Amino acid sequence: MKKIDKKLLITIITLSLIGIIMIYSSSNIWAKYKYNDEFRFLKLQSIFFLISLFALKIVSNIDYKYYYNNSKKIIFICFILLILVLIPGIGSVRNGSRSWFGIGGLGIQPSEFMKLAIIIFISKYLSDYPKSVKNIKKEIIPLLFIPALSFLLIMLQPDLGTGVIILVTSISLLFVSGVDFSFFTKIGILGLFGFTGLIVIAPYRIKRILAFLNPWVDPLGSGFQSIQSLFAIGPSGLLGTGFGNSVQKHFYLPEPQTDFIFSIITEELGIFGSIIICFLFSYIIYRSLKIAINSKDLFSKYLVFGITFQLAFQTLLNLSVVVGLVPITGVTLPFLSYGGSSLITTMISIGIILNISKQ
Amino acid sequence: MFYKSIHYKIRLFFLIVLIIFIAVIIKILYIQVIKYNFVKNKASDLWSRNLPIEGNRGKIYDRNLDIMVDNLTTTSLVLIPGQIKNKKETTKKLSKILNVSYDEMKKHVYKKTSIQRVHPIGRKLPFDTADRINNLNIEGVYLLKEAKRNYIYNKNLCHVIGYVGIDNQGLSGLELKYDKYLKSKYGSIKYYSDAKGNKLKLSEIYEKPVDGFNLKLTINNKLQRVIERELNNAWTKYNPEHALVIAMNPNNGEILAMSSRPNFDPSNYKNYTEEEINRNLPIWMNYEPGSTFKIITLAASLEEDTINLKKDKFYDPGSISVAGRKIKCWKDGGHGEETFMQVVENSCNPGFVVMGQKLGKNRLFRYIRNFGFGEKTNIDLNGEATGILFSIDKVGPLELATTSFGQGVSVTPIQQITAVSAAINGGYLYKPYIVKSILEPETNTEIKKFDKTLIRKVISKKTSKEVRIALENVVKNGTGRNAFIDGYRIGGKTGTAQKVKDGKYLSGNYIVSFIGFMPVDNPKIVLYVAIDNPKGVIQYGGTVSAPIARNIFEDAINILNIKKDNNAKEKKYQAWDIKYIKVPNLINKRFSKVKYKLNNFDIEYTGNGDKIIYQSPKKGERVPTGSKIRIMLGN
Repeated sequence: MKKIDKKLLITIITLSLIGIIMIYSSSNIWAKYKYNDEFRFLKLQSIFFLISLFALKIVSNIDYKYYYNNSKKIIFICFILLILVLIPGIGSVRNGSRSWFGIGGLGIQPSEFMKLAIIIFISKYLSDYPKSVKNIKKEIIPLLFIPALSFLLIMLQPDLGTGVIILVTSISLLFVSGVDFSFFTKIGILGLFGFTGLIVIAPYRIKRILAFLNPWVDPLGSGFQSIQSLFAIGPSGLLGTGFGNSVQKHFYLPEPQTDFIFSIITEELGIFGSIIICFLFSYIIYRSLKIAINSKDLFSKYLVFGITFQLAFQTLLNLSVVVGLVPITGVTLPFLSYGGSSLITTMISIGIILNISKQ
Repeated sequence: MFYKSIHYKIRLFFLIVLIIFIAVIIKILYIQVIKYNFVKNKASDLWSRNLPIEGNRGKIYDRNLDIMVDNLTTTSLVLIPGQIKNKKETTKKLSKILNVSYDEMKKHVYKKTSIQRVHPIGRKLPFDTADRINNLNIEGVYLLKEAKRNYIYNKNLCHVIGYVGIDNQGLSGLELKYDKYLKSKYGSIKYYSDAKGNKLKLSEIYEKPVDGFNLKLTINNKLQRVIERELNNAWTKYNPEHALVIAMNPNNGEILAMSSRPNFDPSNYKNYTEEEINRNLPIWMNYEPGSTFKIITLAASLEEDTINLKKDKFYDPGSISVAGRKIKCWKDGGHGEETFMQVVENSCNPGFVVMGQKLGKNRLFRYIRNFGFGEKTNIDLNGEATGILFSIDKVGPLELATTSFGQGVSVTPIQQITAVSAAINGGYLYKPYIVKSILEPETNTEIKKFDKTLIRKVISKKTSKEVRIALENVVKNGTGRNAFIDGYRIGGKTGTAQKVKDGKYLSGNYIVSFIGFMPVDNPKIVLYVAIDNPKGVIQYGGTVSAPIARNIFEDAINILNIKKDNNAKEKKYQAWDIKYIKVPNLINKRFSKVKYKLNNFDIEYTGNGDKIIYQSPKKGERVPTGSKIRIMLGN
């Protein structure tokens, strides 16, 4: 038996602590205004951090084979929860999506668990039937019904960001497992149609895309967040304004401690701060992928890769949105954005990786 | 083998991840370096709030840097609604101090704007009001410096200076014409605020306001005050429709003083009618000049050598027949045998008709145009009129005749004084102007200087000198006697012009004028006085306008430092000494019939009607010419 990957653990704790500090710095003005307590989000995130560390500790001690053996149960429970959360009175609405169980600031988001359950389920399937990748019609397409169903359920909330993450993660697993490349081009074309369909259903999305191309067309409407993010990143210069000195957190950027926390980090800590953050993320991804490569069995490789892909995808999507490389999607930044549910599920998935690292 | 393919794909994935991280970093560098200025400026517009600070509008000085217009510092109320915590209380307190209703004040305090200027109730507040607001010490309530125009001499020179609106924008006169120089640039206190308008603890930037440039006029303020005083007196004494005076330096076209009635107070311009404010009569009014125009006929005749003033003689029977029409002399029975010098002294109409006829229409009209009539003088003021001349092809013998003595043409006062200046200064027609220079506000250094502008040479120096001597004789011996000052050589010409309304001459309604200059050998000032329809007096330029000119000249002697001339003194006795005349009987005579025979007396009358029922002194008494005779009128 090996020891758990301490380097990964330390990096994750470091990044989470930076997150807590920057959540305080970016939220103190809002917190003081709204709750008359500038430390409110600092306190809550610290509690979430301690809970998530505890969860990480527990999960890292659960043998990963447990997920292998119970994958169907896990995904079944997650489907039940996803259906239950849609029922008014049981699930509660937050940020326009009926996606939560719980009251007030505390609660759980079943779609977060579904993200993990899908990885477990597909990993098991692909490792059980490694030859299935050759038979796309009979094996792979039916397999994709599971993520497609969860995507549909999540879109009923609706929460496009999480839904897309689940789909893309599933496809990434198929890619690694050796599904023929032509399949992905077909998926790509299908995705394009799906994308068009999504725009037809909700035309506000085309506005987001236009706003991304030129946010100044509608600076107070669809271009608002992009511009406010630019105003945080640009004027502070390479050195940044210094810790605590953000201007944009003074009610210009709405909820600066959540999706756009990276723009406040860049504003206060400058280019060097953002390079350090990017480095820490890269290092976490690097360590995790190394664990995947070093692990002995196929299931754990897929599992670790799937979790890491999800983490990397979410991170890069958030950063790209914040700096204006892609349109706004509403995805949080792992470890850094404020939010208990997100932090705890991320820590749980890291706990799984850590457990595999010591096998 | 299978694992190898998986591991290869995992490494490929990591490479893609690294590339995207690098792309993110490059995009940040792009925003922070290449787009820096663009984003910074946009953000700064969003974050910063400007509290505007007004600079001082340029001052207006007379030629000796005597301040005529400056600024009073006042304060104005500015609110930043986002910073006001207790809006209700603030509204209550402010409405009480400003003495307006709660609702009126509420409009300003509750307005959803970053900065609210409380207009107009909070503008240009008096000191004690500002002090009371200041003592409230409410965050978000600011008092900012604002300048209020201060017209030191109130109505003096009002039409020339003009006035400004509430935002100190020039609306008329020099205030409008030179607005781009006079106006100041706003400065500001720039501070950063959050999205709710609260001040952030970032450094404030002070941008200094820029004061406007000062104007230095050609006006002599002392002389200006003299003409204002004389116009005030004439206004009360004669109750005329209009009255105006212009004083000019004939040697360069500088306006030394200029005013007219009715006038207005630029600080309270809203209390006056549009006509009172906007009509700068010395340049706007145009009318038949009457006899003052004869100076032009005289100058042309001398230049063309068509008459010799001393040698050529003329017999005036009281009228002259032109193209079958009889043109009367103003004096019943005429002046009889006279030299052309006496024609000028007596302002004899038939004599001038002959002068015009000798010149012919082409030459006379060429001189009229050369002297600047029929076109604007282009003085640096708004609202100048052009006047009307006969077009040359429509001039027949009758038109030539009337034009010779100043009828049938329409000219502005500024055209007349400009033309006469040319006639007496050696023959140079200068463009009149009123702004001498533009001064830098801190040190009063000249940044732009306006000089005399020669338009053309009109007559020779010799002719000009002859015109001066002839006009001196008018004051010494002729119709301009009332402008005479002991010991000084003054030249001039009176004018009595019948007013035209709807193509017909009005009866008993004249514009009486006098145009004069001094000293004759080296003129330093030309003066034009015109009174429109004076009441209670015989409407002659010699009786109404010449005495006003005399008063102004008396003060001008000191102001312009004009030396006493010993040669002039002797001439006075020659002209004055011998003329004692017998007072005729006036009782029971009709005043309208006899008044033109009383030109040698200063007539003062009271009562209504046309029949003379009382006179003093009585008939047969011998008195010096120009003595006062009081008469009473009845029916």
